[in-house]
Amino acid sequence: MKSKTGQKEIRHSYKLTAALSVLAILMTLMVTISARSESAAFGSKDKEVFADQRKRDSVKSVEAFSKVYSVLISPRCVNCHPAGDVPLQGDDSHLHAMLPQRGKEGKGMLTMKCANCHQSENTRGPHTPPGNPNWHLPPADMKMVFEGKSASELAKQLMDPAQNGHKDMKALIAHADDALVLWGWEPGDGRTLPPLSHKEFKEAWITWLKNGAYAPEK
Amino acid sequence: MTLVKTTLNRRSFLRAALLAGGGMVLSFSWMAGCKPSGRKALEMPEEWFELNSYIKIGENGVISLSSPNPEFGQNVKTSMPMILAEELDVDWDNVVVEQADFLPDRFKNQFTGGSQAIRSNWTPLRTVGATARQMLILAAAKHWNVPATEITTEPGILLHKASGKQASYGEMASAASQIPIPEEVELKKVSDFKIIGTSKKNVDVKNIVNGKPLFSLDYKTEGMLTAMIVHPPAFGMQLKSIDDSAAITMPGIQSIFTIDTLTGDIDQNFFDATSFTKMAVVVGNSTWEVMQAKKALKIAWEEEPERVFRRSASWMQGSEIIKATFPPGLESTDDHLAKMAEFTKKPGQILRRDGDPEGAFKKASKIIERTYTAPFLAHNTMEPVNCFAHVTAEKAELYGPLQAPEYINATLSQRLGLPKDKIHIKLARMGGGFGLRAYGHHLIEAAVISQQVKAPVKLVYTREDEMTAGLYRPAYSATYRAALDENNQLIAFHVKGGGIPEMPVAPHRFPAGAIDNYLAEGWSITSNITTGIFRAPRSNFMACAEQSFLDELAAEMGKDPIDFRLELLERAKTAPVGENNDYQADRYAGVLRLARDKSNWNETKQGIHRGVSAYFCHNSYVAEVVDLVMKNGTPKVEKVVAAIDCGIVVNKDAAVNMAEGAIVDGIGNALFGEMPFKDGAPQKNNFPSYRMIRANEAPKEIDVHFVGSETDPTGMGEPPFAPVFAAVANALYKATGTRFYNQPFINGLTTG
Amino acid sequence: MATTKLKINGKEHAVDVDPSTPLLWVLRDHLNLVGTKYGCGVASCGACVVHLEGEAVRSCVTKVSRAAGKEVVTIEGLSENGDHPLQQAWEQVDVPQCGYCQSGQIMSAAVLLREIPNPTDEEIDLAMTGNICRCGTYLRIRKAIHLAAEIQNEIK
Repeated sequence: MKSKTGQKEIRHSYKLTAALSVLAILMTLMVTISARSESAAFGSKDKEVFADQRKRDSVKSVEAFSKVYSVLISPRCVNCHPAGDVPLQGDDSHLHAMLPQRGKEGKGMLTMKCANCHQSENTRGPHTPPGNPNWHLPPADMKMVFEGKSASELAKQLMDPAQNGHKDMKALIAHADDALVLWGWEPGDGRTLPPLSHKEFKEAWITWLKNGAYAPEK
Repeated sequence: MTLVKTTLNRRSFLRAALLAGGGMVLSFSWMAGCKPSGRKALEMPEEWFELNSYIKIGENGVISLSSPNPEFGQNVKTSMPMILAEELDVDWDNVVVEQADFLPDRFKNQFTGGSQAIRSNWTPLRTVGATARQMLILAAAKHWNVPATEITTEPGILLHKASGKQASYGEMASAASQIPIPEEVELKKVSDFKIIGTSKKNVDVKNIVNGKPLFSLDYKTEGMLTAMIVHPPAFGMQLKSIDDSAAITMPGIQSIFTIDTLTGDIDQNFFDATSFTKMAVVVGNSTWEVMQAKKALKIAWEEEPERVFRRSASWMQGSEIIKATFPPGLESTDDHLAKMAEFTKKPGQILRRDGDPEGAFKKASKIIERTYTAPFLAHNTMEPVNCFAHVTAEKAELYGPLQAPEYINATLSQRLGLPKDKIHIKLARMGGGFGLRAYGHHLIEAAVISQQVKAPVKLVYTREDEMTAGLYRPAYSATYRAALDENNQLIAFHVKGGGIPEMPVAPHRFPAGAIDNYLAEGWSITSNITTGIFRAPRSNFMACAEQSFLDELAAEMGKDPIDFRLELLERAKTAPVGENNDYQADRYAGVLRLARDKSNWNETKQGIHRGVSAYFCHNSYVAEVVDLVMKNGTPKVEKVVAAIDCGIVVNKDAAVNMAEGAIVDGIGNALFGEMPFKDGAPQKNNFPSYRMIRANEAPKEIDVHFVGSETDPTGMGEPPFAPVFAAVANALYKATGTRFYNQPFINGLTTG
Repeated sequence: MATTKLKINGKEHAVDVDPSTPLLWVLRDHLNLVGTKYGCGVASCGACVVHLEGEAVRSCVTKVSRAAGKEVVTIEGLSENGDHPLQQAWEQVDVPQCGYCQSGQIMSAAVLLREIPNPTDEEIDLAMTGNICRCGTYLRIRKAIHLAAEIQNEIK
């Protein structure tokens, strides 16, 4: 047993209604698509990006997502997208030793607000707190859990505005260059990097999105 | 009433020449004498009169008591003066307490460790207090011209009932200080104690909660430089060369050099133990600047050949000097475990044999055999190693955290080339000791550095330096075997234990004496990883192994674990086997019964898993019952009931505090503590990797009970620590159905 | 080197140090405010907690430049006469053993009590899990925080 499992509460915040509507739209629009995958992308907002329906390619999209997923579940990403309300730490993603709590805004609470230890930049040296001016967890009303999610679940969650921080396609694409996301590739001494370079990740991310943002079957 | 001879302890009665103006001799001007808290500051007297090394009385009746032993949290700075105050017969509210410097000519037993501070000073301190009281009585008798036997005391007051005369201690202090020391004095009856057995607040608590400078790390003098060391990254390595070209140019850096601390011609005493004798040193103006330069040093290391040195065979002063070695090589935990497993299979050195254990095992119907292991542990005192030193051609002044000053001054004298009486060691309050601060290597290091740079220096270790500098709790393994006959009765018992590098078995301890056929064997494996005493040395492992095994054995025999232990103790009491049994069976049974009653042992509660354990060490008996719950697969100790027989309890609430702390410490180390090695390098170097028990993991309740006793005090700092490991293991078994044989238990949970 | 202006416990200070020097070492080495302790240097043990604009920051990883011009309170300035409800409670419960971690414990507890005036045991544990006490005084710390809450309520 890893110590974190003791505290872990897997929150199945994935909303059934959202999933069903994805499915419904899919079934009407995408009958020709391989039955092995389903698109997580939909909605009128994204018409701009998906004006050309011919660009949608479920195989390419799902392939790209497997790369994206390998990054999202790597410690640099998953540690701040925990299933519970306590972030994870280290390459083994153990529960953060001093049990800081998410708090309403995702910035910690009481004696352990993130910025009490996490500075605006990485503190130098091994075992020191990493940093960023906007260091935080997802807020309490939008937890964006990565921990424990399958690729399929995570793909659907990422495309659900009710679960992805109300991001539309444009905002999702832009998110690849978010300062806190970029931190993952400059995480400070002693932390492993995500399995892909940021360039590769961004490419896969956009490929996934632009090809229909299909969710893998599993 | 007991009569004691004062001649046993002559040095306690030395009186220093009174200072002009009667000023108190304080270690440092900023270190004000501590006032027991909870009341207004006392008016300081115009003049002090010294009755002996420990006691000064002001003309206004204020009493100054010196606490001789170093303080690291066990509250001796309060409890030792309480003993003096009791026999002196004064009002505790009228007392100020000073921390004595290390002055072997004036004080006895200035060693805090082995749970012996109170035990070894009990009669000496009582005698000192009673002698001062008697001197006040004799002074009053002379002054009033009445027989001394007619004079009585009330706290701080001398009375002659027949004439109605009375005087305060302050009024008689001057005359008393001139009275020759009586040859024999009376000690109080235990039933007459007014201070001992009550609860007095830590005399330093106000200073602590206000952040006053109490620790040597807080100390600073004019012109003081800061020094840091760099030691080899692994045991079995040594410094080859340093390149300081980048570091020396960094801001605030004064000098960079290497030191040799314990050179080959020094006979090391037991507490001179040190891991590395050649180190790189960076000296500069401030801590942060030195830390930065230290990182910029480029050092080449090389494997160290066998290190040969001369050291005392034991901790006893003046014991034989033997040749000791550290083997070469870079050791790893995996190799250690394999080696220990090998040794458990080989015959060990026979430590005790009763009856015919081999024969009994041969005819047994059933043999139960279990092997237990425990890893190296780091002490992790919250205050890292540090020491102030100012060494000149004439003298050396040192101030640092140190449990055992009497062991280091001879070595300092030899290494610095100064006579012993020119070395002045001041005793700092320590931010934790746990055994580690018995070793004075940091005093040598600081002194050698100061001598080299010809300036006052404060040596500071970083947390990483401290955690990787060795002197760990040794790694251990023990195999227990029990033989049961066809009626499921215990007919033989065998323990074979060893460790790296020390053998932990105490062969005459329970259950020796309770079983007809008994065999104890021991073994040890040498290592270059340095180890040292760690809260309840050896017992901190043996209690866990033995009490886990007895629990499993009781279950195997279908007996309640407490009843089973009590049966064995009954046998040890009524018809003891052998002659050297080192425990009193009835006191042992007493704490078990008390713990059983106070914990309502026979009650079961849904979701609560209970484990019991009892152990005797440091002359005291402790039984503990742990209530454990599992929350989402994680164990949490909710409640602990402890029953303790440590004789007379001097400061009740402080003793409770110590027991609570020992229990929390034990739970933490049992569940999480370990220092693994790879190629000689410690694999953890700071708290993010070395898991310490935290607030959320501490029990909600710890219920401490003392057996009412008039026996002289015995150990208190260590005895409550040792048994809790097994109580946790036994409760974990109840919770999970799995026995936990290897510390730390969290690893067993991880794979399970 | 650069001059950094600091306001600590209500007093103005100017220190001439490298701006990346942690606040901890400026307090201890340059301003002789040694109540704030060094325990790990990596924000893991809580011995170095001070208040920066009211928050319980870990001074061992907080560069002095971050504190420039802001309100810093250390254990020495928590109360004028050493009688903050927490200090009173710590004394009454007789919390400390070695005492080394206690100023950090108290500075953390002060933020807890400000935000939750009557904390439960669970809330205390959540707030205090960042502060290691090697002597194991956690039970007394819990008790003292409850007592301090009572004292604080009486004062109000």
